[in-house]
Amino acid sequence: MKKDDILVKMVGINKRFGTVQALKNVDFTVKHQEVVGLVGDNGAGKSTLIKILTGVHFPDKGGFYFEGKKECIDSPKKARDMGIETVYQHLALIDLMSIARNFFLGREPVRKFAKVINFLDRKKIDKVAKQALKDIGITIRSVDEEVALLSGGERQAIAIGRAIYFGAKLLVLDEPTAALSIKESHKVLDYVTNARERGLSVIFITHNIYHVYSVADRFTILEHGEKIGDFNKDEVSAEDIIEIVRTGKVPARS
Amino acid sequence: MENKSKLNSSIALLFRTHPELGALVGLVLIFIVFCFTATRFLSLESLAGIVTVASELGIVAAGITFLMITGEFDLSVGSTFGFSAMILAITANAGIPLWIGFLLALSAALFIGLMNGIITVKYKIPSFITTLGTMMLWRGILLAITGGFAVRYWGTSSFLRGLNGHFLGEFRSSSIWFFIVIFLLNIILVKTPYGNFTYATGGNKEAARALGISVDKVKIINFIICAMLAGLAGCIQFARFHSVDPLRGTGMELEAIAAVVVGGTLMSGGYGNLIGTLFGVLLMGMVRSGLIMSGAPAYWYQAFIGIILISAVITNAKLKEWAIK
Repeated sequence: MKKDDILVKMVGINKRFGTVQALKNVDFTVKHQEVVGLVGDNGAGKSTLIKILTGVHFPDKGGFYFEGKKECIDSPKKARDMGIETVYQHLALIDLMSIARNFFLGREPVRKFAKVINFLDRKKIDKVAKQALKDIGITIRSVDEEVALLSGGERQAIAIGRAIYFGAKLLVLDEPTAALSIKESHKVLDYVTNARERGLSVIFITHNIYHVYSVADRFTILEHGEKIGDFNKDEVSAEDIIEIVRTGKVPARS
Repeated sequence: MENKSKLNSSIALLFRTHPELGALVGLVLIFIVFCFTATRFLSLESLAGIVTVASELGIVAAGITFLMITGEFDLSVGSTFGFSAMILAITANAGIPLWIGFLLALSAALFIGLMNGIITVKYKIPSFITTLGTMMLWRGILLAITGGFAVRYWGTSSFLRGLNGHFLGEFRSSSIWFFIVIFLLNIILVKTPYGNFTYATGGNKEAARALGISVDKVKIINFIICAMLAGLAGCIQFARFHSVDPLRGTGMELEAIAAVVVGGTLMSGGYGNLIGTLFGVLLMGMVRSGLIMSGAPAYWYQAFIGIILISAVITNAKLKEWAIK
């Protein structure tokens, strides 16, 4: 797969919840090694679109292509197996579990005992978790520590490090810098750049246009469930995007 | 100074990763107190008595632990306990081989657990309510089919001796089953992927789901494990008394939950283990025997457990608070 090849293509996505039309004919693409900023005000449909992409919801209508192949994502596990990894703002990690256990959750390496029983390979879990986190640039005292003790930025780092380690092709970050200090936000933005350099594509969902503007290559703007704009970085300034999100309209081009 | 804070933080880590430590301290303290106040507390018979009581309660509590870590509750274990015991008693009296009756009793428990699980998961009802309902349902059915009368089995059987016969003097085989249950469940919980799923489901259901874990399946399976262990415990107690009355196991759910909570497992799920529950039920068994041996009227047991429960929860919460700082 080359840079600029299309990794994900969603065509004519429709989703309705009861009487609310959450998405209307939305097209959405992500290229290989591209950071896409998905922006829009509350209720614009960002989360719904992402939840469809990651298998949490199923669209009422619409096609989905991954690496050029038509696919049907019917569960979060399927999405994960295909290489779509989500880092939710609050849902990424289990607070009461250790860092190492969180790192491998759902994909635990096992040793066979008596050829039938799968036991967790604790040695591998500890070693790999530690190394992978070091690679992305965070050092922790012990991977046995509970995640509850970590700062918001460290949590994001662990979730992102996990995604990279497991060979994700597409990383979905949902409000990764919300509730983070300025320093930590910048660290997370560095992780995003780091992930792209390692060959991943990233969807970055946020309210903070300045954060996403510093790392994204392209912006997709949603409003009331419809896509109202799709811009490369050189076509718009951060202020333009804010204006579009605020007014819900794309101003006429001069 | 540097060394001291390092030591402090390793002790903190130890307490954080071992929810059972608080209960162990409590167990040792209560043991020491009773050694002074209760005559013959330190005898082998007394120890056997404690373990016997603790084992039957403990098998139920082990299932509750598993389920509570999953973030769910089962108030119907007492009814399941009585219901399974009654099935074993009735089939035994009907001349059906005991091992078949035993399997039938366990199947009934499996069904009860499955029903608890499906209702809770499918209709998104708090398990507290689901199992409050099934607790009444099965107790009611039990009372209705027996007309309120106890059922006694007069025969003897090596099967029942195996379930809960004597060995080494006053000890009973229930204690062996109990230790096996604790051991197996703890291995599953701590050393297998399924244990990870269980912690994750209780710790943060949505995150676990997003990571591809079938949260609903884990819950239903653990409801079944919990109910089947309650059924097993019912059969084991029947093997001790050779009789069962339709109110058997009433109130047991609360006692079991108390033991689990004393053992450091969090009511809200995601944290705890079976070793804590082992200490918790031993502690409760010890209080029961110790109070009687100290000459206190048996009624004081409940009051005492109440105090222990509350102090244990406060201590555990404080310990955790301190350990996380």
